[in-house]
Order: sequence, then structure tokens, then C-alpha cells
Amino acid sequence: MIQKHDDSVSLVLLGGSSGSFSIFEEILKLLDRPLQCSIVFVLHRGKSSLSELPQLFRSYTQLQMEEPQHLDPIVKNCIYFAVPDYHLLIGPDGRFYLDNDEKDFFSRPSIDATFVSAAQSGLNIKAALLFSGASEDGAFGMKLIAEKGFKTYVQNPLTAEVARMPAAAIRQYSKHHILNENFFEEIRSILYSYST
Amino acid sequence: MRIMTLEYEELEFIIMKVKEVSGFDFSGYARPSLLRRASGYLVKHAMDLSELTSHIELGGNSVYDFIQELTVNYSEMFRDAEFFIKLRSEVFSYLESYPTIRLWVAGCASGEEAYSLAILLKETGLYDRSLIYATDLSQRVLASARQGVFSLGNMRTFSENYLLSEGKKSLSDYYHVAYNQAVMIPDLRKNIVFSLHDLTGDGVFNEFQMVSCRNVMIYFNLEQRQKVFKLLYESLAMFGFLCLGKRETLRYSGFEENFRIINMHLNIYQKIK
Repeated sequence: MIQKHDDSVSLVLLGGSSGSFSIFEEILKLLDRPLQCSIVFVLHRGKSSLSELPQLFRSYTQLQMEEPQHLDPIVKNCIYFAVPDYHLLIGPDGRFYLDNDEKDFFSRPSIDATFVSAAQSGLNIKAALLFSGASEDGAFGMKLIAEKGFKTYVQNPLTAEVARMPAAAIRQYSKHHILNENFFEEIRSILYSYST
Repeated sequence: MRIMTLEYEELEFIIMKVKEVSGFDFSGYARPSLLRRASGYLVKHAMDLSELTSHIELGGNSVYDFIQELTVNYSEMFRDAEFFIKLRSEVFSYLESYPTIRLWVAGCASGEEAYSLAILLKETGLYDRSLIYATDLSQRVLASARQGVFSLGNMRTFSENYLLSEGKKSLSDYYHVAYNQAVMIPDLRKNIVFSLHDLTGDGVFNEFQMVSCRNVMIYFNLEQRQKVFKLLYESLAMFGFLCLGKRETLRYSGFEENFRIINMHLNIYQKIK
């Protein structure tokens, strides 16, 4: 029943909430040439948030940006944004699944929903990164990803606009790599590294 | 906080167990959502896999409770306000020409969508010649839908949605408060039939001018979803309307050519062949 996934899919997962929007904008501006991986952004958004992020961010990068629909296959060199009012899950068959389940940490999309599903999917995770935010969402998913042997990066709570989210992730798992000030160059090298 | 996560192999084992004990077949359901919900069930009830297995093997209410929690659809009245605005302007204006209007709310959960449609039909003067069939696979949610009882906390959200959807009155005109809960007025229930129907097992039971099946398709995997689309297609009268959730389209349905798009953003479609 479980379909074999595309081995070439390699995910970079980024989660953020309050204080992360401008970080995500800066990261998008780094994307000036084709990627070997697929990038998934999960940003806490209100359910009635009408703005479509690919439209909003159009001027930052030439790469393809999408808000995935249910069952869309994950494609290399594409940037995805979780839509408001649904959880975005990643399936073992390399497809996105939308989920209408209850909110997690008062959020839908929740970062944990995406990160936990990615950790369990068996797909390759090149890196998972967690930034500023006012809830503890993402901490459990980050821990699970790290325990599966994938690379995890957490913004230094001291430099984060809102410390609670990165601090919770570090509290639950102390061995995450910490992103300090001026971390954008580091993120660029993560995104463009050839190692999986 | 989640302390227990299941793996996909364990989920397949549970699916098999449930079918063996109860006959209920999860095999057409989207695995990632099931995995998430089953893991959530373990956390909520502080169980591990072997305890869950014994729990399922008890059969009766135990297994039923588990199926219920994995299939429950969280909904709101007037979810996606702009959908109801478009429904009024682009769908109901067309339905007006029918002497009797039959609508089907497929996967109605606790009745939020059915009551919303009833209110909208009332405000457009169509309710008295409409019949709303609201179906779900769970007796438990149907019983609650029939009672039309909602928490006051939820009602606040529903009221905001209602106002955004350009409702003509106040939502509180449609319910009264008893024992600290909101009870929908009996008049709204008059033309709603709540009944048991499983989209993955049961067939066509009537012909409808409109089918609302919002945020239900995302429960199914690719193959099951195509089967359900076929059922909905066959249940619609020619030129009948199909309403899907805000993030659900006909993509991968196999019926892309049989519908025209009434509203691309809100996923309202009309059957044309």
C-alpha cells in the first residue's frame, strides 16, 4: 500500500512564527540559482490570510514557488509554502497531503505536523531549520528529525525576535546546531551543498 | 505534547486489525493523516501500540470510538465566508428555477455545513422547497448533528463567519441558548435529513442539484478519491453544482473534463457532461 518514493527528493524544512517573516524573505533572496533540493516553508498564518505567498514573494527569486495542493508530488528545485487553515503533511510516497485535523499549538498549519510527517516519511531531509516564534510548535518535530540522523538548525533564542520557539526546541533537544547572528551565509551553504 | 509516534508499518497493522474486528476499512484513507491521528490517539489515551491493539480487539464501543476519532471532520458554520457569498450569487440564483431543490452535504460531521446551507436558503427564500440530505459515516456525529447543539465558544467563531459571509440577520436569530449551549431552532431542521452514508462503501442514493463535499476529499488516498469523485459525479443532476473545500480541486480526480469551473478560488464546479 505504501508506494516507493522518489529517492532523489531531498527536503529542506523551515519553520517560523512571529518574527520569522522577514527572515524567510531574506532566505528567499539567497535563492539565485537552481536547487538540488525542495524547500518547504511553514509559517504560522491566520486562517483568513488571503495573500498568496508565492505572489507576495515573486520579486525575491526566479525559482518556482507553490502553495501545494492535496496529493501534489514534491518536485526538486521548487519552493513550497504551507497554506493557511490546513496542516501540510509529507507522505512516504513523496506527495503532499493536506490535513483538516485540529490545530496544534493553536496553529493550522502547525510546524510539528509538517516536520513530524517528514521525519516519518522515510524521505531524505537535507536540513530542518526553526526560527523565531511565540509558541512551542516545532520543537518535537525538530527533535524527531535530529534523532533520525538529519541535520537540524535552530536560531539562537538570544537573537530571535521572539525567543520562545527556538528556546523550546533547544530545551527538548540540546544538540541542535545553533544559528548565530549573520547566519544567512550559513543557510546559503546548507541549501546549495551537494551532500545529502 | 506527543510522546509516542507510530510508524507506517504499525499503522498498516492497526488498519488490518480494525477491519478484522469491525469490518470498517481504512485502506482508502490517506496514510499521513491517519498516522498523525492514530499517534494523537495514543497520546491522548496514554496507550502504546500493544494497548491499542487490545483496545481494538475489545470490539464494540472501543473500536468504534477509535474509528470515530480517526475520521471526525472538524468543521465550522460558514467556514470560508466568501464561499457562501459566491454560493448565494452564482449557485442559488441558478437553483431558483427548480421546483424542488435537493442538496447533499457529504461528510456532514456535526451538521455545521448543513445548518449553514439551511440558513442561506432561508435568507434567499428557497428553504421551503429545498431538501438537504446530510450524511456521515458516524452515528455518533449524526446524533449530535440532529440535536443541533453547539458550544457557545464555537458559536462566537460561527457568528463572525456568518457576518463575514454577508448574512442578513444575526446568527443568534437562528439558535437559542439552553444550559449554556446553543441549540439551533427546530424550524431550520425541518428540511434536513441526517442519515448514515459511508462515501467509501455506499453508493448513489438520490439525484442532487448541488453537492457540498468540503474538506472531505483530503481524507482519501489517490485511488479512493477517484472512486468518491465518481460517486459524487453520478449523484449530481446535469448542470448540478459540486462544491469542494477551499484547497481542494478536481486535480487527479479523473473528472476534470466533466465540470466547468464556476469559481476557481473557492472550487465551485458545474457538471456539464
